[in-house]
Amino acid sequence: MENNKFTGSKEYVASPELMAAVDVARALEKPLLIKGEPGTGKTMLAEAISTSLEKKLFIWNIKSTTKAQDGLYVYDTIQRLYDSQFGVEGVDDISRYIKLGKLGESFKEDEQVILLIDEIDKADLEFPNDLLWELDRMEFYIHETKQTVKAKVRPIVIITSNAEKELPDAFLRRCIFHYIKFPEKAEMQEIVNVHFENLDDNLLQHAMDTFYWIRSIKEVRKKPSTSELIDWLQALIIGGIEPDTIREKLPYLGVLIKKDEDIDVVNKRRVY
Amino acid sequence: MFTDFLYVCRDKGLMVSMTEWITFMEALDKGLARSSFDGLYNLGRMILVKTESDYDKYDLAFMDYFKHLKPTNEVPDHIMKFLDKGEMDTTGLNADMYRYDTKRDFEETKRMFRERISEQKDEHNGGNYWIGTSGGSAFGHNGRNVGGIRVGGQSGMQSAFQVMGARAFSDFRHDKTLDIRQFQVAFRKLRQFSTKLDVERSELDLDGTINSTCNNGGYLKLEFEKPRKNSVKLLLLFDSGGTMMPFSEMCNDLFQAVHKANHFKDVKTYYFHNCIYSKVYTDPECEYGNWLDLEELFKKTDKDYKVIIIGDAQMAPEELYDVNGNYRGPNDGRSGYEWNVLLRSKFKKAIWLNPRFHGKLNELAWMEAENALAQLYNMYPLTIDGLKKGISKLMAPR
Repeated sequence: MENNKFTGSKEYVASPELMAAVDVARALEKPLLIKGEPGTGKTMLAEAISTSLEKKLFIWNIKSTTKAQDGLYVYDTIQRLYDSQFGVEGVDDISRYIKLGKLGESFKEDEQVILLIDEIDKADLEFPNDLLWELDRMEFYIHETKQTVKAKVRPIVIITSNAEKELPDAFLRRCIFHYIKFPEKAEMQEIVNVHFENLDDNLLQHAMDTFYWIRSIKEVRKKPSTSELIDWLQALIIGGIEPDTIREKLPYLGVLIKKDEDIDVVNKRRVY
Repeated sequence: MFTDFLYVCRDKGLMVSMTEWITFMEALDKGLARSSFDGLYNLGRMILVKTESDYDKYDLAFMDYFKHLKPTNEVPDHIMKFLDKGEMDTTGLNADMYRYDTKRDFEETKRMFRERISEQKDEHNGGNYWIGTSGGSAFGHNGRNVGGIRVGGQSGMQSAFQVMGARAFSDFRHDKTLDIRQFQVAFRKLRQFSTKLDVERSELDLDGTINSTCNNGGYLKLEFEKPRKNSVKLLLLFDSGGTMMPFSEMCNDLFQAVHKANHFKDVKTYYFHNCIYSKVYTDPECEYGNWLDLEELFKKTDKDYKVIIIGDAQMAPEELYDVNGNYRGPNDGRSGYEWNVLLRSKFKKAIWLNPRFHGKLNELAWMEAENALAQLYNMYPLTIDGLKKGISKLMAPR
């Protein structure tokens, strides 16, 4: 395991600190908690690790209604009731109605896998606490069938958070934490180069200058992020925009900025 | 081994727990710091710090603890990389292989070192000339030259110091004055706490009922749950007096945050000028006549509204205590202080957020009004920490 260190991948540019954090999390067998501004590539990280280490990836997307139990298993009582009324065979076998969630599935794998718990802060406040035991011990108990599901190989757990809610201390204590800072210009250039081949230097320079200028305006409420910059570049290329006019005309501004009031702010500051 | 560091961290307000400290020790034991100073800094940060707002505290603690170390700043990255391999196994090396040159003085060594840095392009371990590990050259680490310069290994703290010295994360500190997003996040707490409110299970829980009924073999079994609606009602009172001008943008942000939050059952906003007297204004300009009697407000607002007053509490003592202290409008027979006492007795949950909060230390004359109001209300500075503390005060059961 030691000899295949995570080094980033073709599509993903990882900072040295981030790579170190991934290695430490693996070595200590603790979940890695990734926080950062939206659009800094938190979700892509897990995909990159999965490709780079050649391990299977399980993604558990968290929504506001997600409960910890959903990740372990669901007992489909309604299907069972339904089946029983029509006398379907095997109704007395509860295990037929136990459906494993993403966490459960990842435990069942024979080889080490990567489990991404995406946007954990979307769920209820208590959600992370409900997973403490399962993530510590990598096992859970199915009450209906009196079975214990235990991970054959400990998965590498990556958790992302947008910091919408604060996570409970007990949960945080068990994690390795990494905060993805918004990339500086040089780093951003590297990221952009990963996404585009043979991008016109002049275009990139003008677009980047404008992008960082918009980000520097304090009044802008929702600052454009990396993914928006990439979409915008794409639009600029397709539209065949003259690089020198970008800062002046701010073409396709809607791709970069999503809020009406922010567009007004930027337009007001525009230099002619 | 450096337990002191734990206490330095805690001193700086970084509440490192035992679990985290033990994890850190375990990680060091496994050599995850890779025997480099940067590695140690990063390792400690990822294990001991759990929110970016504490990065700054960690930086301060780290700087404080390691302040006696002097940064080396002459070694380029590509050479550091050759050396960044931890303590090597040197048992296979024969000490006699190397000729020691212990007579060279330090200035001479330093000069040669600079020369070497400009020449060297590759990795060299075990030799006598280049910078590398386990050698007899004057430069590198794990080597055998007593008069040489140690490069790498336990040294090489420069970039960590640069990161820390720049205090790049001080912007994330919680005690920094906040912007709208941070306001919004803080206001979410007002909702979070409200789910814990002690209310009756009065709504039919459909999913629960279906589940229980199925578990019950098809016989109906009803389940109820607590209503999910937020029951928090807010009354905001903004000071829009002259001394608040520098903070108008911040107040606007706070106002926006509350209205965007739209998870409150009700929000009422009024304004006052300097101090609350018999009337509150319906617009921030506080124009004569655009007002509502405070007593009328009491009538139409029930007592479980939570009150947040935003103001700098800067006024002359007579503006607060004199029954004719209101130079802009009517006093209606009571001093400003008495009106505030009335307001306070109507609403049990009230906090005051003060952008110019001075705390209790200051007993100066012009602080008299602030001190009096701070004693009447729970007064907090208008920062994230202040707002959070205030909100938990508002949500506290008593």
